[in-house]
Amino acid sequence: MAVDNVSMNIDRGCIHGLIGPNGAGKSTLFNAMSGLVPIKQGSICFEGVDVTHLPVHLRAPRGIRRTFQHVQLMEDRTVLENVLVGMHSSISTNPFKSVFGLGAEGSPDKAAREAAREVLQFLGIGHIALTEMGGLTIAEHRFAELARALVAKPRLLLLDEPAAGLSLRSTEALDTLLVRIRDEWGATIVLVEHRIDLVLNVSDVVTVLDNGSIIASGRGQDVIEDPGVKRAYLGVDEEE
Amino acid sequence: MRISAFFETRWFPALFLLFLLVIPLTTNNYFQFVINLVLCYVLIGFGQQLILGYAGQFSFANAAFMGIGAYTTSIIFTLNVPILIALMAGGLLAALVACLVGLPALRLSRVYLALATIAFGEMTTWVLTHWNSVTKGGDGMYSPVPVFFGYSLDTDTERYFLIAIVCFVMVMIAQRMLASKFGRAFIAIRENEMVASCNGINIPLYKTIAFALSGFYAGVGGGLYAIAVNYIVPDNYDLFQLVIHFALVMVGGLGSMYGVIVGALVLTTLPEVLREFQHYQEMTYGVLLILFIVFIPRGLAGFLKDRRILPREILVHGWKEEIPHVREAAKTAAVFNVGAGAEDRGEEH
Repeated sequence: MAVDNVSMNIDRGCIHGLIGPNGAGKSTLFNAMSGLVPIKQGSICFEGVDVTHLPVHLRAPRGIRRTFQHVQLMEDRTVLENVLVGMHSSISTNPFKSVFGLGAEGSPDKAAREAAREVLQFLGIGHIALTEMGGLTIAEHRFAELARALVAKPRLLLLDEPAAGLSLRSTEALDTLLVRIRDEWGATIVLVEHRIDLVLNVSDVVTVLDNGSIIASGRGQDVIEDPGVKRAYLGVDEEE
Repeated sequence: MRISAFFETRWFPALFLLFLLVIPLTTNNYFQFVINLVLCYVLIGFGQQLILGYAGQFSFANAAFMGIGAYTTSIIFTLNVPILIALMAGGLLAALVACLVGLPALRLSRVYLALATIAFGEMTTWVLTHWNSVTKGGDGMYSPVPVFFGYSLDTDTERYFLIAIVCFVMVMIAQRMLASKFGRAFIAIRENEMVASCNGINIPLYKTIAFALSGFYAGVGGGLYAIAVNYIVPDNYDLFQLVIHFALVMVGGLGSMYGVIVGALVLTTLPEVLREFQHYQEMTYGVLLILFIVFIPRGLAGFLKDRRILPREILVHGWKEEIPHVREAAKTAAVFNVGAGAEDRGEEH
């Protein structure tokens, strides 16, 4: 069993760091929250609604979005086209509106493009909006994926190792952006990340998983000083 | 001026329209017949491109959908139904059947789906051959001379205008649709179903829509084909027809709607150019397909795009994004210049 007896409360409007050694169950927990992995027991509630058995594609319209440990983008498409995929639930399925732009409010696709451009500008990659993904840097891939998740203005943003492969400079940019996403966009963020410094910098709460169970949870600095966390995660014994 | 820049000017669509109007003035009956076939195969190719190139579903039943469209249009038109309604009926029946064929696609993938759809195609050919009371069996049936708003379309040139109008309207609709959320959903499903669903895309629904649209285009294309050739037999919709559909997409370029137009032009005119070697037609297609897969795997669209002869936007989906402030954004420099770090070009990609 990858995750067992885990109970987590994620406060609205906070950044919740989730750390633990490899194989601790972070990704499984993440996949369960986003609906990719069914859970055998227990429940997942989002904004007071039980979403345990809600299909993955119905969680997105409720405001749950995620990124992936290994960036998942359409490589032969432009950054803008990739980001527009994130707007899928926000555009009418009525073909007369979404395809032909007929309707009082005009073309919803046009509004989606505007929203996508805004997010790209916000993330600082507006200048590569029309560039195909293939050939862009890892950082640009990471930020484009973040833009796709962010464009629909999610209320819960699940970020799976967003700093993996980034340079120090880009990680610092990400650090600032995560705080701005929380403060300016009002999004709640769950952050799985191996870079402890980033997690400690931005997280309001940090939860530590080991062997599928929570071993500590609280303020970042308190958690990191916990002897159990040092032993399990950092490999440091208190007596040393 | 670069060649690609010409295609981006407002003169290009106008000249292209003029070209379409001028065609009948410059052709003889035979050449006009070939042009009519090219237009039919543009729609038929779109059907295959939608399901294979865009939605990424290994469906090879479009020859059958084309046959269903051709026979339905011909049969309904004999009941004195207006030709446009008969064409729509052919397309809609093909779309309905495509939906039913697509149901296994929700569970089957790749080679299993390919086998299931090929089997369906063979079954359809069998039904068309043996349902004598409706299809006139293996001898085939004449497709009646179409009447368009009271005007009998007796010659190939007269039929050209009907075929060109229907083709033009359907190409425009496909262009809009593929640039909309539907087109993006198809591509997202093709690339990664898990990611698509995480972005709110209902996979079973959009796969079914892709099958229906693919069947509709193949069905209407089949109906126009029946009008163009005037005589249809079940053998028109056998495995060789399937190879033609596959070749249209592969030669034109997988995932490029305008590549299909180029593919239809090449593959429909090629047999006419090589008319002296008609007995080797199937072999010619086979060799051409192999050569393209080996040497130009991204098809003519990819070839033209790589050499910047045609702009990417036109080749990929016929949609050109207007984003005037991109240059400005580049000048003012990104707030976070994420691409600057050398370390970002790591090993992960």
